[in-house]
Amino acid sequence: MGRYVLRRLGQMVIVLLGATMILFACLFVIPGDPVGSLAGSDRARDPAVVKQLRARYGLDEPLAVQYVNYLGRLAHGDMGEDYTQRRPVSEILAPKLANTAKLALAAIVIDVVIGAAVGALAALKRYSIWDTVTTLVTTVVVGFPTFVIGMLLLNVFAVQLKWVPVIGDPGDPVQVILPAITLAIVDAALVARLMRGTMLEILRADYVKTAVAKGVPRRQVLFKHVLRNSVIPVITYIGISFGALLGGAIITESIFNWDGVGLAMAVSIQSQNNPIIVGVATWGVGIFVVLNLVVDLLYAVLDPRIRLS
Amino acid sequence: MRLTKTMRWTAVAATTALAVAGCSNSGSSADGGAKASQSNNAPAKQGGTFRLGIAEPVAIDPYNTQESEGTLVTQNLFTGLTSVSADGTLSNALAESRTPNDDCSEWTFKIKGGTTFSNGDPVDAAAFVRGWTRAAGKDAASDVAYHMGEIDGFDALQDGSATTFKGLSAPDATTLVVKLGIKDCEFDLRTFHTVFSPVPAVAGAATNKTYNDQPIGNGPFKLDGPWQHNSKITLVRNDSYGLKKANLDRVEISILNSDNAATLEYQGFQAGQFDWARMPTPQLTAAKATYNAKGDWLEWDANGMNYLMPETADGPLKSKEARQAISYAIDRKAITQGVFKGFLTPASSLVPAAFKDAYQQGVCASCVAQDKDKAKSLATQAGLTPGTKLYFGYNTGGGHEEWVQAVAQQLKDVLGLDVQIDGMPFKDLLKKEQQPGSVGMFRAAWGADYPTPGNFLNPLLATSSINEDATTHVAQGDNRGRYSNPAFDSLLTKATGTKDLAERTKLYQQAEKIAIGDDLALIPLWGRHQLRVADLGKWTNLSYDFNENPTLSTVSQK
Repeated sequence: MGRYVLRRLGQMVIVLLGATMILFACLFVIPGDPVGSLAGSDRARDPAVVKQLRARYGLDEPLAVQYVNYLGRLAHGDMGEDYTQRRPVSEILAPKLANTAKLALAAIVIDVVIGAAVGALAALKRYSIWDTVTTLVTTVVVGFPTFVIGMLLLNVFAVQLKWVPVIGDPGDPVQVILPAITLAIVDAALVARLMRGTMLEILRADYVKTAVAKGVPRRQVLFKHVLRNSVIPVITYIGISFGALLGGAIITESIFNWDGVGLAMAVSIQSQNNPIIVGVATWGVGIFVVLNLVVDLLYAVLDPRIRLS
Repeated sequence: MRLTKTMRWTAVAATTALAVAGCSNSGSSADGGAKASQSNNAPAKQGGTFRLGIAEPVAIDPYNTQESEGTLVTQNLFTGLTSVSADGTLSNALAESRTPNDDCSEWTFKIKGGTTFSNGDPVDAAAFVRGWTRAAGKDAASDVAYHMGEIDGFDALQDGSATTFKGLSAPDATTLVVKLGIKDCEFDLRTFHTVFSPVPAVAGAATNKTYNDQPIGNGPFKLDGPWQHNSKITLVRNDSYGLKKANLDRVEISILNSDNAATLEYQGFQAGQFDWARMPTPQLTAAKATYNAKGDWLEWDANGMNYLMPETADGPLKSKEARQAISYAIDRKAITQGVFKGFLTPASSLVPAAFKDAYQQGVCASCVAQDKDKAKSLATQAGLTPGTKLYFGYNTGGGHEEWVQAVAQQLKDVLGLDVQIDGMPFKDLLKKEQQPGSVGMFRAAWGADYPTPGNFLNPLLATSSINEDATTHVAQGDNRGRYSNPAFDSLLTKATGTKDLAERTKLYQQAEKIAIGDDLALIPLWGRHQLRVADLGKWTNLSYDFNENPTLSTVSQK
């Protein structure tokens, strides 16, 4: 187990290196000078200023040297300085990461609680009106684009009903409700369908039939055999989905002005603020790798047949 | 230019277009908008919190404040030598007098004594020298320091070979002497820009992050805690302000995602969270219907211009006849009514109507009305035969797609040209315009930094503004169409060296007649127009300033 974790951590370093290298290369070979015309001004920056800034950010070095320098700084926890406000990237991103994590957690809770419960109920009451409605609603919801859901919620609950502020303090817990629902709604529908499908399969499985035949109480069969085995694919899905949420929900954060990494990414891409883009992506890759590890470890806990060697 | 975010902004705001240019406004309220200043001069009541949203500024420290958002904050934190009213009139702020010498190579500013920064330090001539030197220094790498380029010793500060500003001196606490490298009788107009703000000793170098986020100034407001990046900026009244004190207790500025700031602002306004807002273009018509009736609607012509920039050095638009043919072929009225739903008006000059004295309506004769016959005969004369390829570059994502298509279609219908529309990201467009072999035409816009026609004519059309790199031949200045006419250049030089305002205005007008009237070096399309909703039921003395921002220093509760 310990060796398994170590090996996975080693792989993680390789994945991080590979991902940042590809990203770095992509960003820095894009035509246009990142410090030359930031933020889409109608005039380019003064050539003298551009020269000064390029020297300051080491952009006059060859790409390989820039990458090695970047890795060197990264090893010390220094993610560089952004091009617009000229502040350290880590200082800019830290509070955004916290905000995004807050939003992602809220969304995941909604996903799991609503999605799994609805799916499980639908499976248990197969062909009932509840099952039909669930199937219908989840099908429709899955097809909804995030921005439509977001705009709709914002317009109804913030602009028209004024139950929550359109723009609020990011520290205000009320403010997280609408974006979290927006993020969760499609995932919750998917989780419900996944849960329903897996559960139906397991309910038909021989070991469940045997348990029932042996007279094991229904409650015990459900919790010990059915639910426990049904959540494995759901956990995989949630793990990936959580990683994606942490990596930044660009659309949702943009609609709700949620000051997270997704919003930072959206703004930075537009202004070619490369240090921020690389920073967010590095963080995103890291999170993904860690979450994959956590999911794999959870498998072993839930299903002893899965060995980690 | 204070353009950056205004632009992106307008771009978003303007799904169909408003071309993104500049900054300021001035003057004449347009068609049917509520009179912004209807209740100005009403007795002021102290107190209240004014709330609005802006996009994240680049800087609020005057050394690098550039776009409207940053300017809104900096201008309320700092007071410089001069101020400019919404109609473009320059007046003294901290200056008591502004005196050029005989040939305008040296300016003497007398400063009002006895005022202080909000930390109690005196605002004296040395504070101005400190602020200007700090912004012009090499480490500052300021995007706006170039406004000081005329001052003697600027280049040495920029390349790091000097740490003091040779052209600046403070013989006593209330006298600031500025020596210029270029004679400029309008230099005092420039000092309106926030980069010319005084700073206290505590500011330190331009790279001082603490001060960058919480600058201590001498303006009508001071910061209540540091700038909370991407979240909010809170201002409170500066009770020790040396000029007329503000009425508001607080100003709460929410920082919005710049990609949909206009939408968020408008939603916030509808929900009663904001007192001032822009709107997304698709909702303009509905918003006007709702809020104009309530008297909460502001609408005015701003001092920016949208135009086509033809490449005059080479290619199909090299001759003025070719450019005139293009201009005659365009039906501006149809586009402003159709695409822009009447929110923009056709233009027939480069210097906008907001410059009341210098404005020459119809100086571009071919802009006044579409004339297919004239267009055709001029095109034949210029060799723009049907089927001729004409390159037309524009930036995508700025809401320009629709009108660019309309213009291209008109050129195709009237002249039979093979118009090659080329959309690309903004930075690529800028780069393309600068390249030596560039031909055809580009979509472009400009807004004034100072209320003078020279701020349009000089950077956009003077030969020196081509500023070609000797080895790469890349145009580094803003005259990307590479227009060059010695008669025009000499009129401009004469104008900046002329003290008498009326005489100077006349010279500018003559220059515009040459470049726009005769040569059509730029093809004017439509002016810049601003629209806002504001809670005028709750606030009085609320209007817009030269930078298109609400007048926070005068507004008061009803």
